[in-house]
Amino acid sequence: MKHTTTRRIAVLTVWGAAALIAAKAQAQDVFKIGLVSPLSGANARYGAFANKGANLAAKEINASGGLLGKKLEFVSGDSQCVPAEGVSATKRMITFDKLPIIIGDICSSVTLAMQPLAEEASVLLVNAASSNPTITYKAGVGGYKWTYRNYPTDEGRAAIVLEHAVKNRNLKNFVVLSVDSDYGRGAINFTKKYLPRYPDAKILSEDYYKESETDFRPVLSKAKNSGAQAIIMYGQADTTPIVARQMLEMGLAGKIVLVGNGEFNTAKTIAAAPTVMNGSIEAAAWLPEWTSPRSQKFVADYKAAYNGEMPNNHAYTHWETTHLVAAAVKAANSLKNEDIRNALSKIKFDSAMGSVTFDDHNQAVLPMVLLEVADGKPVIKSAIAVKVDYPK
Amino acid sequence: MGNFLFEQTVNGVITGSTYALIAAGMTMIFGVLRAINFAHGEYYMLGTFAAWVAISKLEVSYLASIVLGVAMAALIAAAIGRLVMQRLVGAPFQAGVLATIGISLILQNAVILAFGGGYKVFEGGWIAPVEFFGIGMAQQRIVIVVSAVLVFGGLEWMVRKTRMGKSIRAVSQNIECCQVNGIDVESVVRRTFLLGTALAALSGVLTAPVNVSVYGGMGEAITLKTFAVIVMGGMGNVRGTLYAGILLGIVESLVSGLIGLQYRDSVGFIALLLMLMLRPHGLFSQKARF
Repeated sequence: MKHTTTRRIAVLTVWGAAALIAAKAQAQDVFKIGLVSPLSGANARYGAFANKGANLAAKEINASGGLLGKKLEFVSGDSQCVPAEGVSATKRMITFDKLPIIIGDICSSVTLAMQPLAEEASVLLVNAASSNPTITYKAGVGGYKWTYRNYPTDEGRAAIVLEHAVKNRNLKNFVVLSVDSDYGRGAINFTKKYLPRYPDAKILSEDYYKESETDFRPVLSKAKNSGAQAIIMYGQADTTPIVARQMLEMGLAGKIVLVGNGEFNTAKTIAAAPTVMNGSIEAAAWLPEWTSPRSQKFVADYKAAYNGEMPNNHAYTHWETTHLVAAAVKAANSLKNEDIRNALSKIKFDSAMGSVTFDDHNQAVLPMVLLEVADGKPVIKSAIAVKVDYPK
Repeated sequence: MGNFLFEQTVNGVITGSTYALIAAGMTMIFGVLRAINFAHGEYYMLGTFAAWVAISKLEVSYLASIVLGVAMAALIAAAIGRLVMQRLVGAPFQAGVLATIGISLILQNAVILAFGGGYKVFEGGWIAPVEFFGIGMAQQRIVIVVSAVLVFGGLEWMVRKTRMGKSIRAVSQNIECCQVNGIDVESVVRRTFLLGTALAALSGVLTAPVNVSVYGGMGEAITLKTFAVIVMGGMGNVRGTLYAGILLGIVESLVSGLIGLQYRDSVGFIALLLMLMLRPHGLFSQKARF
């Protein structure tokens, strides 16, 4: 009896030692990156897409040799789209997991809260999906040296939409009908910032609607009477069909078009009032219909990996940003995050949307898709990159 | 400019008709119960949702969906009337506030649980545009205004000529006297509640084609606006509610047309504050009825 116990202990010791050595060897072969995103709460769907996109990229990178021979792995944290939660997830990654690079968050308010933590710990924060311009106003020469953003901003979107509407569509007289929120009002402020570039273009009136608004006739009457050619609308996706339907009944189809953002090009919106939606202009960071070979391959691989699920914008941007970081590692030929950061600043990365470079605010200069609705379907007009005028 | 003002006035009359239709029920319920029905917008939502289900799942016509939507909302209201509302007779006002806010939360979340929180598009209704004095509008809007006129005509007749109407008036004037005289107060409360909520549901189904979106929380904003209308009209005053609803609709339209849409909701609240401060008995009576 005693004999067997001793043997057992000996066997266990040997196994234990072997496991320890294996774990250590594994630890040396793995390079971990943090991924902060909302995994619970109202925006959990976006976080799930982000994780799937990033993990798909990790799988691809590992299949082709990993990061300088090491296996890339993600440590995922839940921000719930709440700044306090995002901060504690980030702190855990910095303090306990000692991660040199963190990708995150989707919600702008969380990203803004993460920036000082990353800066203090000299951890590279690469954002892949927040659109608030302030994030990179405050980065690079603006202050935070460790924040980079590989995503277009609300400002860029407003500038692109305005440029296309004025230059290519020859629209001059605009009225504003946007949602009464930071997003809706912010986008209009940026539109006004870029408006002086086009001397003929002017905004005739500005209206902002509350989220529960359903009656847009007073504003549409005003638009009709003022001789507007287009309504600049940065609105809620769910409101677009209401506005479109009421434009239809007031006989505005074909006379006034919608420009801005608010799911103008989805089947559901177009079906509500096809004649109104025809000709509407919208800008998006990416969409599955984008035809570049790299984009189409991503869509096919993503669907194959996740039971035929169609990737969304967040899945794409996190997939692409993971590849961007890998490219920076390769260019730096180092896993030290300072070297990776310097490589990012100089990188010229070929993304599915086109070439990506970073300006002195660490903001990616990258193309956005410009869409128009024609014959009831979204048509991709172009992909334009915009240079941001930073506040002095 | 004259044309523009006329157009905004027409817009306002249409919106105001909807407010009046919903508020008629709320004011009658207040009359017999002395309780504000804070769940009133939820019956508007229930009617719309039931009609949406009827159209998108059962594939019935819009006309049939009006009947089904109102019937479904009335069925739920009948149960709530028996289980909750009739018990509020003679209860302190806090009980009414808590009970109806509770019902509002339960109904909203039950619908969100059953159908998800996303917005649904209401297909159906007579949405083809017609010209009316040079103003383009959906046929549905004419249906809304005509329905409002018919409903108020019917209510006026009911309140003056029928036994139910007379008992509603009696209960709203003096509950104790009614009880002494053998009027079944609880039954009057139940029936008034059923009628009032059915009107809210009807209003929901009628406006759904032009408001397009259907979602669980759609009743909340309606309850608040309706509250302003019944205070302006004089709590419990059915005819006053019609005028107040249309007045609010017109002023809102003019404010959003001339000043800005973002100020629209403030009109109702400012009116509510002014009324409570200066004429708490409403615009149309010299002194409070109660």
